[in-house]
Amino acid sequence: MSHKQAGGPPGESAVDWCLYQLNGAAEFEVSEADIISTVEFNHTGELLATGDKGGRVVIFQREPESKNEPYNQGEYNVYSTFQSHEPEFDYLKSLEIEEKINKIKWLPQQNAAHSLLSTNDKTIKLWKITERDKRPEGYNLKDEEGKLKDLSTVTSLQVPVLKPMDLMVEVTPRRIFANGHTYHVNSISVNSDCETYMSADDLRINLWHLAITDRSFNIVDIKPANMEDLTEVITASEFHPHHCNLFVYSSSKGSLRLCDMRASALCDKHSKLYEEPEDPSNRSFFSEIISSVSDVKFSHSGRYMLTRDYLTVKVWDLNMETKPVETYQVHDYLRSKLCSLYENDCIFDKFECAWNGSDSVIMTGAYNNFFRMFDRNTKRDVTLEASRESSKPRAILKPRRVCVGGKRRKDDISVDSLDFTKKILHTAWHPTENIIAIAATNNLYIFQDKVNSEMH
Amino acid sequence: MLGRGLKRKLSDYEENMAGLSSRQLVLNMCLTKLQTYKMLVEPNLHRSVLIANTVRQQESNCCDLRSVEDPIENSLLIVSDDDMSSAISSILKDLDFVEDISPPTCLVPTGDDQPKFSENTGLKLEDDRQDLKGAECVFGSFEISNSTSYLKDLAIDDIFEDIDTSMYDSDFCCPPLMPPRPPSLATEEPLKTFPSCNSSSASNIQICRTDLSELDHIMEILVGS
Repeated sequence: MSHKQAGGPPGESAVDWCLYQLNGAAEFEVSEADIISTVEFNHTGELLATGDKGGRVVIFQREPESKNEPYNQGEYNVYSTFQSHEPEFDYLKSLEIEEKINKIKWLPQQNAAHSLLSTNDKTIKLWKITERDKRPEGYNLKDEEGKLKDLSTVTSLQVPVLKPMDLMVEVTPRRIFANGHTYHVNSISVNSDCETYMSADDLRINLWHLAITDRSFNIVDIKPANMEDLTEVITASEFHPHHCNLFVYSSSKGSLRLCDMRASALCDKHSKLYEEPEDPSNRSFFSEIISSVSDVKFSHSGRYMLTRDYLTVKVWDLNMETKPVETYQVHDYLRSKLCSLYENDCIFDKFECAWNGSDSVIMTGAYNNFFRMFDRNTKRDVTLEASRESSKPRAILKPRRVCVGGKRRKDDISVDSLDFTKKILHTAWHPTENIIAIAATNNLYIFQDKVNSEMH
Repeated sequence: MLGRGLKRKLSDYEENMAGLSSRQLVLNMCLTKLQTYKMLVEPNLHRSVLIANTVRQQESNCCDLRSVEDPIENSLLIVSDDDMSSAISSILKDLDFVEDISPPTCLVPTGDDQPKFSENTGLKLEDDRQDLKGAECVFGSFEISNSTSYLKDLAIDDIFEDIDTSMYDSDFCCPPLMPPRPPSLATEEPLKTFPSCNSSSASNIQICRTDLSELDHIMEILVGS
């Protein structure tokens, strides 16, 4: 096993990360429903939404800075909690449809209200979040409790006035996009035109208009005429951040397809196919399984795409289809353990990946509650841990290291001691600042750049 | 099957990785997983496809190596490969049948495709019948496909001679003995629309047959057999 990944000095980060806050119950109190299944910042970073296996969405809002309470600045407090999806039963197929929230995507804010899309395996819902902090008082026909007044007591007319009240956050379901998918929805993505969005399942991708729920257009269909011929499924998809006609989808065979909706109504033919030929020296029984792309994200610039497969993250240039421009090893020490990971199904874990605001650093999760960051400019990488024990508030996170034999330093963890039940699948990076949200089972960790937090 | 994430000594497995026995180990695991998924109400399509591909890849490797290996071992491998192929075929077929039977409601194809919609309905119905036919032929044990073959074998009229079955008559209750459409016709399908009212026709056929088999069962009880 080469030491180039885990050997050498522990990775250093240009940024000092420290735990800002931790939400969630202690681990012995975890119920399955509390497990966080998705994390997403909105476009300004003011709001952070999480979805869980119980179908609930929790929205956190960042406290505005104020000189009065210096220690609360920048803290994300619970803004609203609501039940997005309930478990359903499909009577025709005798199947239960899980209420687990697979993905949340925010719509760009167009007025005082915030809107987001949340989806489970089958149904996508559009939620509108509004604030109410005033209420009218002084009605002519109703008294303060809302009961009708006796008209004989009304001697003069008054104009109702708006009086302040305690802030109330109201969440209402504005649209329900149902019955669009036969297979399990794995991604949703809002178009830059702010009018349409797409949803992708294992075999098909649909285009919806945000205002129309009884109709959607099928834009990709990879279902073969004979299911016996099925060898590839869609694993993730996303719209280009600037070009409303372009989107990408990834497959279980490790390829990316960039499609142009102007070319035809049905985008089964890709405009570009991004595929790296397999390295024959790394070939194993599990080569195909570990090449399956679990997440794809466009960079903020729109020039690059980031993909995550089981052992690596790769940066692709839209202009180069033959291979990625950068490849980073997330946990190459697992390459010799693939058989065991196949046996316990860990090889099928779907890790997400994220860009920072300036597209200079990429982040992804791993096992043992570790997460990794790769600086594209300095080529440095770091492994950090999201755990209660090793995260004192405001203390800088210490880089972690996995040793694979050879010299073992203090605080190193050996590969065989890794806890594969503690996996960080869902991570998100604030759109502009160095603030990251990490979901570890039922806990939400928010880490901030030490410099960032000290400024506030 | 081990629990998820259970820590165990990895060295034992890794030692076995060398040589042909490792291939057998992996194939055994694949078969176990496929069988387990088959028992699930709703198998995971992504995983099933990945496992199926892994097995297929091993099969093609095996063909290359077959001439070199011990003939006895060959025959053992061949048997398990056939089982695997059948298992994969049946699982993928089952998935298709289970998943696509549910018609989405109120779905309309894109505007300029409207005039071709009715023509498409006919084609889709033929495809569904072909899928049914395929499901019947396969190794796997899927309840609905079993009942269709059961009904084919019986002379329905004989059973219900003295019973008024007019309420069970339906336009769709013709035997599914149509010759399978040639694959080229399926690929000529010009448009991809949602299987809306098309698969509800297919499900009507199933509901008809289920009713008839239930009636038969009731008759048996009444007759006291």
